Formats: sequence, C-alpha cells, structure tokens
Amino acid sequence: MRRTTTLWMTAGALALASGAAWADAAAGAKVFQAKKCTDCHYTDGPAREKSLADQLAKKGPELWYAGSKFQKDWLGKWLQDPNPIRPLKYNSLTEKNTGGHPKLAGAEAADVTEFLMSRTSPLVKGGEIKPKTNPKGRLVFTKNMPCSGCHQFPGQKFTGGMNGPSLAKAGERLNPDWIFAYLKDTKTFKPVRQMPVFAGVLNEQDMKAVAEYVATFK
Amino acid sequence: MRTLFHAAALFLAAGLAVAPAFAADGEQLYKFYCAQCHGLQGKGDGPNVVKDFPVDPRNFTRADEMNKLSDADIRNVILDGGPVANKSPMMPPWGKTLAKDEVDALVKHLRVLCKCKGKS
Repeated sequence: MRRTTTLWMTAGALALASGAAWADAAAGAKVFQAKKCTDCHYTDGPAREKSLADQLAKKGPELWYAGSKFQKDWLGKWLQDPNPIRPLKYNSLTEKNTGGHPKLAGAEAADVTEFLMSRTSPLVKGGEIKPKTNPKGRLVFTKNMPCSGCHQFPGQKFTGGMNGPSLAKAGERLNPDWIFAYLKDTKTFKPVRQMPVFAGVLNEQDMKAVAEYVATFK
Repeated sequence: MRTLFHAAALFLAAGLAVAPAFAADGEQLYKFYCAQCHGLQGKGDGPNVVKDFPVDPRNFTRADEMNKLSDADIRNVILDGGPVANKSPMMPPWGKTLAKDEVDALVKHLRVLCKCKGKS
C-alpha cells in the first residue's frame, strides 16, 4: 500500500513538473471558441471546400486533421510563439505574411494543443514513414517534380518559392506519415488547393521517398 | 395545365440563363493555379519566382512566342507538365487536378493574355 502511495505521489510530481499532463482537450475546445480561432479555422471534418470561391473565402487553414498533421511538441510551442509558416498571407499572391497570429499563454496553449491533437484522420497511419535522407526523395523534390517551386526548403543556392507553406523546418512541424498520406490522398484533405495532385503522377514508393526526405528538413 | 407548362418553360429558361455561371472561369482558374509562377498579368513574374529560381516561367503576354504554340501544345503542357515539351519540370502536370473544361478555359484565357490565336 505504501509503495502504491509513493508511486502515485511520484507520478503526480512528474505530471506537475511537466505541466502539460494536466492539459485537457475539452478545455482546449472552449479556449478555441472563446479566442475566436473558429473565425479562421474549422476543426470538424470532412473538408468543406467544393469550389475555388469556397477556398478563397477561407481566412486560414482547416484544422480538422491537425492531430494527424502536426507534431505535438511543435504545436504546443508554436501556439505560444506563432512565427509565420507561409511567406505570403493566406490566399494572397501579393501580400507578405508579416505574422500577427494570436498568441496563447502556456496553460491555454497546452489545452488547445490537446484539443487540436484530438482532431485526426484515419487515412494517416502511425509510424510508417521515418525521416530519412534518401537520393530518390531528394531527386523527386528538387529536380523531377516542382515541389521546390512553391515550398521553401534547405537548399544549397535556390531555397524554394514563396507561395506554399515553407517546408524549411518541416521535420520539426509535420508528422512524416501525414506528408505521405497527403501526397497519396491530396483531395480528401484539401479538395481545392494550389498544389497539383501527384497521385497517379508519382507512385507510392516515390511519394514515400519524398515524405521521408521532407521529414529530415530542420 | 397551361400554367404548369408556362411554369416549366420559365424554369427551363431560368436554368439556361444561369448555366454559364457554372462554366469554368478561365481568369479565376488562372489567378488561382497559374499566377503563383506566371504572375497575375501573365508576365512570368509570380511570387514563386524568387532569386535563383531555376527557370523563367513563360511570359504569356509575348504574342510572338505564344504564336509559335498551338492550343493543343498549350493543353499538353498544362496536362503533363513542362517535360512533355522539353521544358522545365518546374511546370507541374495538372492533368490529375483540373477537369477537361477547366483546361479548355485556361487555354482560352492564355489566348486573351497574349492577344494572339496561336499556331493552327
């Protein structure tokens, strides 16, 4: 009995020390509403966009699969210090993204992280793709396909175009399994987007290689 | 019965009048998909074209260059990407993304931008 009590006390102390252990998805959902995050982001799937007009009316990216897309550690930190991911403003070809995304304080950020991490897609399998520097992925990303035309990446001289979300630190932000799932099933996640569909152009092995390669960007 | 007939005729006419609104809008498609590299005015200067961009995206306002291409040439590059015409893979294949009527609308819009008819 004494041993059990000690164990529980240790667990409690550890949880207190980490802080995040008390985070609560339901509380995060309330914060998400109260802070008006819902003005720009929707969190219930499936995707709602059916036309260009639907996509252009959006003020920010959909988050209904955020828990499959992002790495939890990154998300928790980003919500407290949201540096721009896109070089240009969402849905703009002319205006720079100067930042200004609302910040959340520690406890709220932890709750919202729990909430967003609960928004997942069954299309994303866990642990299938691991970060891996590989010549095939690099060749597809930088030469054979136009990925670098729109996405910033850690290149030697040319470091990528401006219109897509930056992938320069994608290895810290994105779940490698999501990168693969998104390439494979682009339209389910984003029915209307400025990125071409590569399913049917690239085979699954190539898509896996690209996902492994992008997951190494840090 | 006659009223019903008139109502049906009116319904049909309204439907026909509305129909073009559902047709692919070449300018809107261009601004969404193509302008990111080719520029909103078609001059090949979209926001992706940063320093060290490996290729100069085509300037669609150059009638002399655009006249060397037939509509089918343009359609093929949109569908299969630059390499199909020995051009850069920076021009993606849009064949799995765009519907046939959307590609047709884009070809038409490029002819508006170049103010040219192209090789027949």
